[in-house]
Amino acid sequence: MSRYLILLILNAPFIVAALLNALIDYKMHKITQKKFWLQTAVWLFISAGLLLAQPIYKFLFSNNLTQTEPLSLFDVIQITGIVFLLFVTNRARTKTEFLERRLQDLHQELSIKLSETQNS
Amino acid sequence: MGSTKKTKVALIVPAYNESQAIGHVISGLQQSFNKTLYDFQIVVVDDGSKDDTAQKARSCGAYVIQHILNTGSGGATATGLSYAHQHGFDIAVTSDADGQHAPGDVLKGVELAIQNSTDLLIGSRLIDKTGMSRVKVLGNKGLSTITNILFGVQVTDSQSGLRVFSRRALAELRWKTSGYEFCSEMLWRASQLGLSISEFPIQAIYTDYSTSRPHHQNNWNGFNIVKSLLKRRIMELFNE
Repeated sequence: MSRYLILLILNAPFIVAALLNALIDYKMHKITQKKFWLQTAVWLFISAGLLLAQPIYKFLFSNNLTQTEPLSLFDVIQITGIVFLLFVTNRARTKTEFLERRLQDLHQELSIKLSETQNS
Repeated sequence: MGSTKKTKVALIVPAYNESQAIGHVISGLQQSFNKTLYDFQIVVVDDGSKDDTAQKARSCGAYVIQHILNTGSGGATATGLSYAHQHGFDIAVTSDADGQHAPGDVLKGVELAIQNSTDLLIGSRLIDKTGMSRVKVLGNKGLSTITNILFGVQVTDSQSGLRVFSRRALAELRWKTSGYEFCSEMLWRASQLGLSISEFPIQAIYTDYSTSRPHHQNNWNGFNIVKSLLKRRIMELFNE
């Protein structure tokens, strides 16, 4: 099996999950439309990079623009690791921002409610 | 019986460890507004002070909202404005708790905002710089210039704590930062919402007390504010 195909197969679940997460977060009003489109664009860009990895390499190599070795199995694992980290980081950031907002709102509301008993 | 409804004004004073000055600030505001027909309430938002700011404010007759945690000036202001919105105030005005603003200027701001139907009226210390040191003028001018460039607004004093908010501003205006940088971010959000923003000259009163406190805003803190504003501007590209 081609290493480029392995690269695609290994990374496809993360990309699909990331695109789905972005869509769900948008529909659940956790992120804005702007952020949804931006996240979608980033993940589609990564998908395009992975899909076109072989033709891009061939083009660069044949035009003497790169001297690197073709994709090794180690490269495949490394790239998959990077994509996975991107996926996890992005997810963590979205959740942190959402929680931060909720915590601020909670603190604010709680202070106002408590003040009603303290000032009575 | 007259049907004229009195304008409800919330005088919001965000405070952190201001037990020495808070009484003076509250009594100044009371004296100023007692002469008017406004239905006013002084709301002190104690931002998790370690001293007895809340008790002193309460004993002086202010309504006190106590933060459980210290959130910063932006967080305390947001709580005060949220309270004003929830309780149906027509106008809210924020004033510093260190006595930096003359009560007369606070009253003038309310009157001007009502007269001109301004959504966000800022008391600018830099139109008439009397009472401000050159260093402070330079620092505040620098921050205002950066705010104007980064956020496309036109103000002379982006860091002023004396601000008057209309009912619409109370309902719609929100910001994300909780430190002093909220002053600039608030202007940005107001401009994004299409709120009318204007300024009026105020006097800055700096006393030995106000300049000696450890959390007093100085020019070095200005660098932190710039850093945070830049970060916020860049993050905005990836966020909301």
